[in-house]
This record gives sequence, C-alpha cells and structure tokens, in this order.
Amino acid sequence: MTIDELTQIKATALAELAAAKTPDEVEALRIKYLGAKNGLLPALMKQLKDVPPADKPQMGKELNALRTAVTDALQAAKDASSSAGEAVEPFDFSLPGNWTKAGAMHPVSSVIEETTRIFAQLGFTVADGPDMETEFNNFDALNTAKHHPSRDERDTFWLADGNLLRTQTSPVQIRAMLATKPPVRIINPGRCYRRDTTDATHAANFHQIEGLYVDVKPVSLADLKSTLAHFAREMMGPNVKVRFRPHFFPFTEPSVEVDFSCHLCHGKGCRVCKQSGWIEIAGAGIVDTRVFKHIGYPEDCYGFAFGMGVERIAMIKHGITDLRHLYTNDLRYLKQFV
Amino acid sequence: MKLPISWLAEYIDISDLSVQELADRITFAGIEIEGIEQVGPCFDNIVVAEVRECVDHPNSDHLHVTKVWDGENEYQVVCGAPNCRAGLITPLARIGAIVPEGKFEIKKGKLRGVESFGMLCSARELMLSGDHDGIMELDPSLKPGTPLSSLYGSSETVFDVEITWNRPDCLSIIGIAREFAAILGRPLKLPEVDFPVVEAKAADLCNVKIENSVNCPNYTARVLPHVERLPSPEFMRKRLELCGQRSIDVVVDVSNYVMLECGQPLHTFDYECVKDHTIIVRNAAEGEKIKTLDDVERTLDPAMLLITDPAGPLAVAGVMGGEGSQIRENTNSVLLESASFYAPSIKYTATKLELRTESSHRFERGVDPFLTDWASRRACHLLAKYANATVAEGVVSVDTRPAEPMRVVLRHARVNAVIGMEIPVEQQVGILTSLAFEIESQTPEATTFKVPSYRVDVDCEADLIEEIARMNGLDALPDVLPATTIVPTADDSAIRAASLCRRTLCQLGFTEIMNYSFTAPAILDAFQPSTADSRIVLPNPVSADHSVMRDSLIPQMLDIMSYNNSHGTQTASLFEMGRVFYKDAKGAYTEEDRVCVGLMGYAGRSATDCVRPVESGEAILWLKGALESLAYRLHTPPMTMKATDIEGFDKGCAAVIIIAGRPAGVIGLINSDVRKKRRIMSPLVIAELKRSVLLTNAFKVVNAKDVPMFPATTRDIALISGAGVTHEQLVQVMKKAGPAELTGITLFDIFKDKKLNGRTSLAYSLEFRSPERTLKDDEVNAALDKIKAALKAKLQVEIRGE
Repeated sequence: MTIDELTQIKATALAELAAAKTPDEVEALRIKYLGAKNGLLPALMKQLKDVPPADKPQMGKELNALRTAVTDALQAAKDASSSAGEAVEPFDFSLPGNWTKAGAMHPVSSVIEETTRIFAQLGFTVADGPDMETEFNNFDALNTAKHHPSRDERDTFWLADGNLLRTQTSPVQIRAMLATKPPVRIINPGRCYRRDTTDATHAANFHQIEGLYVDVKPVSLADLKSTLAHFAREMMGPNVKVRFRPHFFPFTEPSVEVDFSCHLCHGKGCRVCKQSGWIEIAGAGIVDTRVFKHIGYPEDCYGFAFGMGVERIAMIKHGITDLRHLYTNDLRYLKQFV
Repeated sequence: MKLPISWLAEYIDISDLSVQELADRITFAGIEIEGIEQVGPCFDNIVVAEVRECVDHPNSDHLHVTKVWDGENEYQVVCGAPNCRAGLITPLARIGAIVPEGKFEIKKGKLRGVESFGMLCSARELMLSGDHDGIMELDPSLKPGTPLSSLYGSSETVFDVEITWNRPDCLSIIGIAREFAAILGRPLKLPEVDFPVVEAKAADLCNVKIENSVNCPNYTARVLPHVERLPSPEFMRKRLELCGQRSIDVVVDVSNYVMLECGQPLHTFDYECVKDHTIIVRNAAEGEKIKTLDDVERTLDPAMLLITDPAGPLAVAGVMGGEGSQIRENTNSVLLESASFYAPSIKYTATKLELRTESSHRFERGVDPFLTDWASRRACHLLAKYANATVAEGVVSVDTRPAEPMRVVLRHARVNAVIGMEIPVEQQVGILTSLAFEIESQTPEATTFKVPSYRVDVDCEADLIEEIARMNGLDALPDVLPATTIVPTADDSAIRAASLCRRTLCQLGFTEIMNYSFTAPAILDAFQPSTADSRIVLPNPVSADHSVMRDSLIPQMLDIMSYNNSHGTQTASLFEMGRVFYKDAKGAYTEEDRVCVGLMGYAGRSATDCVRPVESGEAILWLKGALESLAYRLHTPPMTMKATDIEGFDKGCAAVIIIAGRPAGVIGLINSDVRKKRRIMSPLVIAELKRSVLLTNAFKVVNAKDVPMFPATTRDIALISGAGVTHEQLVQVMKKAGPAELTGITLFDIFKDKKLNGRTSLAYSLEFRSPERTLKDDEVNAALDKIKAALKAKLQVEIRGE
C-alpha cells in the first residue's frame, strides 16, 4: 500500500460515485468501498498494521482522509439519487391556508386616521379632550348666546353634576388655546352627543373632527379654503374641488359651509350628491374675536377653524346608505372595510 | 321659512331673474334656499287651442288624428277622447309642457304609427277637477294661443328658506327683499302704512304701564273702535296659505299677515275685554295661571313676562294670547299691540312652557326694536282697507329703547387680512352701505358705521367683515396653500399610540366595533349588576335604551357577540377602543379610555380544525396570546394575570391583568349562564384594559444589542406537578435555582390525564448561555441538577425519567 495507490483509489471512488444515478447503484458502491465484509477501505484499514512503523502515522492520516472523502461523496450521491428518482406525493395547494386573517378597522376610525394623517402633513397636531365637558368650554367660550337653542335640554345631554356631554369637539380647541399661547395648530377628532332621534343620517352619538389654526400673523379665509382644498383632494380624489357658502356659527365669523364637488360624478349630478354635483362636508370660518376674548387671547389674533361629521364622510366615501349600519356592528358588514 | 316668490316680487323687482338664479344668488350670499316648491298646477306651455280637423286613426278603433291651431301654428295631435271633434276649443299641452297630473313632459311621439306633437288635456290631467270623461270643452269665444294660466291662475313658486339663528331680520318677506335689494343693487319698495283716523284719541281710550322695562323696552297700543270680521281678501288668504297658515277672517289674519310681511309679531285684543282699557306689562306671580289660546291652562313663574289688565293676565308676552281677551264672534273693537320684548326672556318662557309659536320664534331670536310703530300702522292700514275699521288717532307708546344706534369701526386692512384678498376700500364701504350700514365718520384706515336697528346680530368688526366676505362672493377666494408657520408640536403621542394599538389589533385578526357611549341599564346589569350605584345616569335620555353611560366596554361587547351569534356568525374576534364613564369613590364624574377584546368560537384554530369543541382553557389562552402579542408590539411593561373571582365571569376562570405591578384590566370567561341565555354555545372570552397603562411604552426607542457570540446549550426537563402548582411558580423556582447563565425557560408540552389524578405533566426546555464563553457540559449538568432538586424540594414535583 502506497500513498499513490490511495490517491488512485480516491479518484476512482469519487468518479464512480459522481456517475451513480440510482439508489441501487449508490448502494452497490457503498458495499464496494465501505462494506464491512469485503469493502475496499476496511480491507486497507486492516493492512495498516503491516506498514512500517515510521510510515504509520502518515499512512493512517491519509487513510482517514480517504474514508471521510468517500463517506461524504456517498452521502451526497445518496441524497441526489433519492430526490431525483423517488416520486413525492403532490401537495394540494387549493387547501385553505392556516393563518389568522387580518381584522378590519371601523370606517369611523379609518376616516379619523386618514384625516389626521392628511392634516399632519400640514403641521396639525392631534388633540383630544373629555366627552363630559363644562358648559364654559362647550358653549360660553365658544360665544354661544345664553338663549341659543343649542343649549336647550331638547338638544343637549346635561348631566346631574352640571356638566354636559359635549355637543361638538370644539371645546377641545378651547382647551388647547387655554393651555398654550398662539400659534396653535391642532386637529381634534372625537365623539359628540346631541339629542337627535336616530335615523338614516342622524345619531345621538356621533363623531366630529375639527381643526384650528390660530396665529399672531394674518390667517385668512383664503388660507382656510386652500387648506380644505388640500384635504378634499387627498381624501376624496385629485380632481375634487371646494366651494364655500356663507353661513352662521356662533364661534366663527365670517362662517361658511363647505361643499366638495362630488367625487363620484365629478359634478355632473348623481344619487350621492342629490343631483347637485356638490356635497356638503364641513362648517368652517374665521375664529370669532369674541372667542379670543373669552379665553384671554389678544383680540388681534387671527385664526380659522373647521369641523366635519366623521360618519357623514365615511358614508359618502364608502357609499354607506344608512348611518345605523355603522353602529350595528355586524361582522359581515364590518369585514368589508378590511 | 316659506317664501312665496310672488309676494317677494311686491317689494323688489325680480322679474328678469329665473327661480334658480334667485335661489343661487341668495344662497351664495348666506341665506340658504333649502327647497323650491311648486304650489298648484303649472300651465307653462299649455294654451287654448282650436281643433280644426278630426279624423279617425287608421290603426285604432278609438283614437283620432287631429289638426290643432294654437294661434300661430298648426300641429298634428293624436287624441283618444270620445268628445274630440273639429271646432272644439280645448287646452293643448305643447311639446315641452309638463302635464300637472303625473308631472310628465310632453315629447314628440308616435301613436300606432301616427306622429303626435302635443296632447289635448282633460280637466283631471290639468288638476283642475276630477273630470276625465273627455278633453276640456272651453268657452268657444276664447282666442287660440291664450295661455291657460291666464284663465286658471299660475302655480306659485315657494322657497323653503333656512334662516340661520343670527339673522332674525330675515324672518320676513321684507327682510329677504332687503337682502335681494343689496345683492341686486335695486331699490326696496315698502308697502303703504297710511290710514284715515277718527276723532277719538288712542290716549283717551287706553292706558299702558310697563313694570319691567328691561324685558319690554317698548309697548305700543292703537285702538280701533270699529272693525268688521269680514273674510280676508283673496291675495291675503292665498299668501297665508302658501306660508302654511290658515285664514280665519281679516281681523285675525292681518296680524299674521303683517308679521310674515315685516317680522313684527302683533297681537289683537278684544277692546271690550281689557278691563279699564288698561294694559299692564309685568312679571307673572309665582303660580299664576293663564288659559292660552290653545285651550291649555298654564302655570307661570316670576321670570315670565305677562300682558295683563287690572283683573289678571291677558297674554303670555310675545308667546301666545289668553282665551279671555281673544277676538270673538261679536268683537267689534280692537286694541292692537305692537311691542318689543327682550329675546332671552321670551326664549326662557317659550322653553319653560314648551310653547313655540311664530311669535316666540321671532322674539327669541330678536326683532327690530324700532319696527313696532311701523308694523302697527301697517296693520291699521290693512284693517281700514279690508275690515272697514276706524282707527283712533295716535298711539299709546311706552318707550325705554336706547336712542343711539350701535356703532362699529371697520379697519380696512383687517378686512383684507381676514378674507385673504385685496378688496378696495370703496368696495368695502359700498357693500356695507348697500346693506343700509350708515357711514358716521371715515379716515383712510378705518370707517365707523351706524348699524341698522334690525341688524341685531351686528355688534363688532368681525360682523362687518362677514358682510363684506359674503357679499363680495366666496368663489373669488384664491386657492394657494399658505406659507406655513412652524408651530411647536404638542405631545400627541398618546393618540398616536392608540392608533398603533388599533392597527396592531387589526393585524392580529380583530375587527373593530363601535358602540354608543350610553346604553340600557339591562345591558350593564347582564354583566355586573353591582356597579349600578356608581353609574352615570342621563337626566334627559333620548330613550330608555340609551339612558345610562357605559361603565365598562364588556357588556356591549357581550351584546354584540350575541347579536352576531344570532345572525349566523358563530366565530368572531372583535375589539373596541372607547371611553367608559363612572362616579369615582368620591362621587366625581370620571371618564377613562379602555380597550376591550373578545373572542367567540374557533377564533384561534386553524381552518381545517373546527369540528372538536372549543375548550375554555384553549379560548383563554388564545386571547391571552393575542394580548401578549399586542403588549409585545406596544413594548408594554411586563404583564401578568392574577386569578381572581370577578363578577360576570365564570368562577375560577377570571383574572386581573397586572402591568408593571398595577392592576390594568380583567380577562376571563363570560359567565356560562349569561352566555347560554344569549344562546352562545362556545366559551366566550373577553378582556378589558386601561388604554393608558397598555400604551405607556408604545414609542420606546430600542437600544440595540449584539447577537450572542457563543452557542447556547439546551436541556429538557419533563416533570409532573401537583394540583394547584402553576406554571409561573415552576418558572420562578427554576429561575431562582438556576445560574445567571440560565437564559431561557420554554414550556413546550403540557398534558393532563385521568391516570395523573389531577396532576399535570409539563415539559420545559432550558437554555443556558454565557456571553463570555462556551459553557461546558459538566457545568450545565450541575446547574440542571440543582434546578431539579429545587423543584422537588420547593414544589414537590416528580421529575420524569429519574
């Protein structure tokens, strides 16, 4: 046995194993080289004792290396032949998958999230306030006359402790202004309550989202219009336009109602816009200087404010036909909004 | 408010404007036309015509083919009426006409192959009577081409106007006409107010005393010694009807008519029924009673203003008259009241008495205090003309009205800054003067205006800017995004964290529901009846179903699960993020944001494993797992669950959720009896958490750690623990007994069996790792032995395989 012989054996074995195609051929080679009885390598191992002592370590090392090489090659040949030859049972990919399906966000939440995202682009911070409010924050500070009908028991939920369930999210704006000096720029979504009888477009429990920007430098109706025009395009589509109609709110002056051109018919007239081409979306205006007075701001501040009904936007956006669907919480209905 | 266009046209020239133009012009000036109504049939394009020829239709046994002359053209018209014949004078609806009955438009048509260019009409089709036996046979002397409206009157167009709360001056036809006058730049034509007077003097015939001049700054009385209760003239009857009022007779109608016309409510008393002919305006006495015209006896309080005579109340001031002094069958003399009342006082009275009238509607918003005399004279003019009335000379008027008009300064630069565009000073001033604001003084920078007395809404500069903005037109505003001021961002992380929580729950498979903040007491009682005392009850709920504020999100979650279950959805994963309301220990009203998560049915199972029933433990672990995932994503501080019996949950299957050592919520199986009553057959597991605690760490900044350098060694322990020993106890003991290099304890199998007699078989995989070197087998084995020994000693567990 010489080193050369071992090198020769290694080359032959690897070549034969590389050529082996079927598991049977591989098995035959295993017996040939590694078989316990007549295998070539075990036989060589036995001959090691006849090698002169001086050459023994060297020869032993070479033999081990040969054995490792052949074993590895055999394993590789085995793997290759089995995957090539054996038929695996085909998998039925039409079976239902095994993972929890994502849930759906409520359309009211989606509108709030989307709206706050859009106004965040313009530098508005989200603000929040309690549902149970003081009369001052909900009415007095917002310049609502003492005898204004909205203060009626017929319209407002008064509480036994003298506070009330806020009828609008505007008191959050009062809180924000009481807490900081101008400039203030907030968007405040929240839940409101009015003693409305529930029908397809009204609920005693509903959501508003309002925005306020107050500054010591001029903030104009034109600024308000372009801010809302940006929102309209982001929320409803790039071609949606904004129109102002003069109106009245106690806390803004001038006050306007804000229409968006119908995103479905592009102003031609359809069911959603009641053939008018326009959809009433928001109320807005220039913050009344009397509001600044009530909260102790300098009266020569400038500011605009706007507010809109979240349910109404959700209904318009998704073609929801009845507001009550939003509070029935039927999973079959809600799942659509995933 | 109803606004008949024909009435409006009496005070302003609008003949050249279409109905739609009128509506648009005023809507975009701030007075919204909410609806346009046609009252009565419209005869546009329907004319008198002559049938010149009438032959049978070739393809029909009853139709005729006619030639019809409308004075200008001859049309071929197919007609089926049996009385159709040559020579007949009959109404022809030409192409484009809208047939009043059925409101369909006449178009060029073909009837059984013959073309027809119009329709001959029956009386019923024109809504003139019920007659439909044939086409109308009109007076043969009528000229063809005569518009039918000249015979039967035209339809009336009535606007439904929304008058915002700040513009009570527009609650009248003249008020709206005044707006149009400003919008169109045309003169306002006011009606006549003159009348002849008789020798008697009002001052000799009646007295007026005002005891509360704050609430009644002006009261005028005129006396009409003779009136006749004649029917009202046709125009007055029609206009009242168009405005939704019923005509009685001219004496009663005139006060309504004048109120609708100019906005000043009037009241007529039977002169003979006013004791001593003396009017006293005073506050009611506590408990004083009056029977009002609607036949209801009303109890008054001292904050209410009354019109009385020395014998007692005659009317609730500005709201409604009393029965005792009303105009009656034999009334032939009248005392006419025209007064000014303080708006909040009338508002209070009308609200308190729940009595809303056309009069209170106007007074509580604010009527021009200087309108009293004009309105009174206008009524006398009409009564003299249509009720054969005589009017005593002069007026008795008690007057404490402020003599000076309101003055407001307008800074012209501020106008442009607020509106956001350049409006020249002349234009600003021009708009205001067109609205009857009078210039008092002027500098280049500012103008001082006197406010007309009817503009009760105007008392500051912003009011004037609004007038300029709306009259200048809002379409003119430029749409350019403003150069933004950098506003320091307020901390809105709590709201953003809530949003992250919502999105995470959706990603975990939960669908968001939304319930009202108020609910029925029964809904809350079904879960935790014991909280009744600390609930906030609404004093004026809309309905009993919405009469109490929710003090937990769980009861409605339970209700919604039940709703879905009974509507064919037996598996549901739902969440709600909302507020709850309760009285705290001191009775203070408190609100708190919470998150509620619920699972029903096979929510946690794989799609193809939904036959074997859901076990309660399994359901709890699904929800616990979901909460752990949520807490993991939100970096919530360590969360544990401490088993506790809680009302509303099954005994032994509820726990308090503890976050960072503080109670943060509850989790458990909804009481089986409650659930079964709602026919929910599988375990229902619900958890509720305080939002703030859950979200405290949501935006924690991660401090990066390197991946471990050295490999870990793992060892498994299989053990059998006794009843009552918890997983947490086992973990604690292992942690305590193990070395610092024990870096992980994972439970990978749990098994219970009858043979184990209530004991549990558990298998843990322990991970040992040092950050500094590869651990040797010997040291790991030694640590493992120590852990096993501790488990045996402290928790009496049996280690399997020993």
